[in-house]
Amino acid sequence: MIEKEIIEEILHNLKEINAKLDKIILNGNMPYPDEEINSSDSLDVMMLLSLPDHLRTTATTLFEIGPATAEDIAEVTRKERAVESNYLNQLVRMGHVEKYREGRKVYFHINNKLC
Amino acid sequence: MALTIAVHSAKGGTGKTSIAVNLAIAYALDGRKVCLLDMDLRGPTLRTFFDDGSSEVPFWVNDLLSGKKGINEVVMDTGVDLGMAGKVSVAYSKADIFEIRELASKDRKWQSNALKNIITGKKELIRNGTEVIILDTGPGVEYESINAVAACDLVLIVHSSTKACSECTEQLVNGVYKSLNKKCAIVDNMHHCSLDDDTLDGMRYGFPVIAAIPCICDIAKRSGEILVLSDREHEFSRAICDIKDKLGRIL
Repeated sequence: MIEKEIIEEILHNLKEINAKLDKIILNGNMPYPDEEINSSDSLDVMMLLSLPDHLRTTATTLFEIGPATAEDIAEVTRKERAVESNYLNQLVRMGHVEKYREGRKVYFHINNKLC
Repeated sequence: MALTIAVHSAKGGTGKTSIAVNLAIAYALDGRKVCLLDMDLRGPTLRTFFDDGSSEVPFWVNDLLSGKKGINEVVMDTGVDLGMAGKVSVAYSKADIFEIRELASKDRKWQSNALKNIITGKKELIRNGTEVIILDTGPGVEYESINAVAACDLVLIVHSSTKACSECTEQLVNGVYKSLNKKCAIVDNMHHCSLDDDTLDGMRYGFPVIAAIPCICDIAKRSGEILVLSDREHEFSRAICDIKDKLGRIL
């Protein structure tokens, strides 16, 4: 049981590190957080190509099957639901994806608001 | 299982449309229900294979991309008599300079929605029983072409034996096809053995080279003719059928 808790904590920490690394990769040397810079960017195919690999896979899958939950995406990409949830929320912060709640489920879809 | 193929190339004039049209007919002759979409919106030529431009086209692929019409409204019958075989429907792009000029001014938001509309249209076609969707694209990194690549299951890369085409194809492979995690197959069209020496064990850029169609003047002279229909024993027709069979094994 203790071992399981330790593994869970390690996993949690790894996810946090992963999220921070993603931010560093996306921001490069720019001094502003990603959400401020890219908030009005449409997610077109050229932007899709410029995303880091993991976010591109998530976004491409969302284009194909969206609106979808993190679990739906994870089924296609064969990653953990929590990992996809993290990626989807990054895409939300970047303004490429929107989320909404339906009952207990959170759905994500490509942002189609007119800028 | 339904299959969506984008016929794409780095450079123009490689024979994408000829291959797309003949491949569509080859699938239909196998009894498959096929839909052929002209995604070369900046230089549409698909229609020249099926009519002289005088027939009534109610709606265009342009209307699908802009979200004005759904896929079922833009797809129409080709009028090609396939006897008892399958069926080929088609959606044309508008070869009108004002339309093309307007397209060039579309912003990224429009292109993002266009991609969504293509994917929605593709799903609708499959729901209605279409088994093979072929997207004939324009060359290089045009929005409409890359949208088609993003929406497909497999990219059929048409490559011609020139150094320029090789260099640009390699760029596309690394910067687009692999980035979008696409399955790909290469067709060497207008092939000259001495000029394509970078193929190793049937592979190039990590993708299989599934056909080498020689450079034959007869094919160029008969452009606009659907050889798979009119001359089934022609070297080009046999190559197309071979491509179809090999694609089946890749997917």
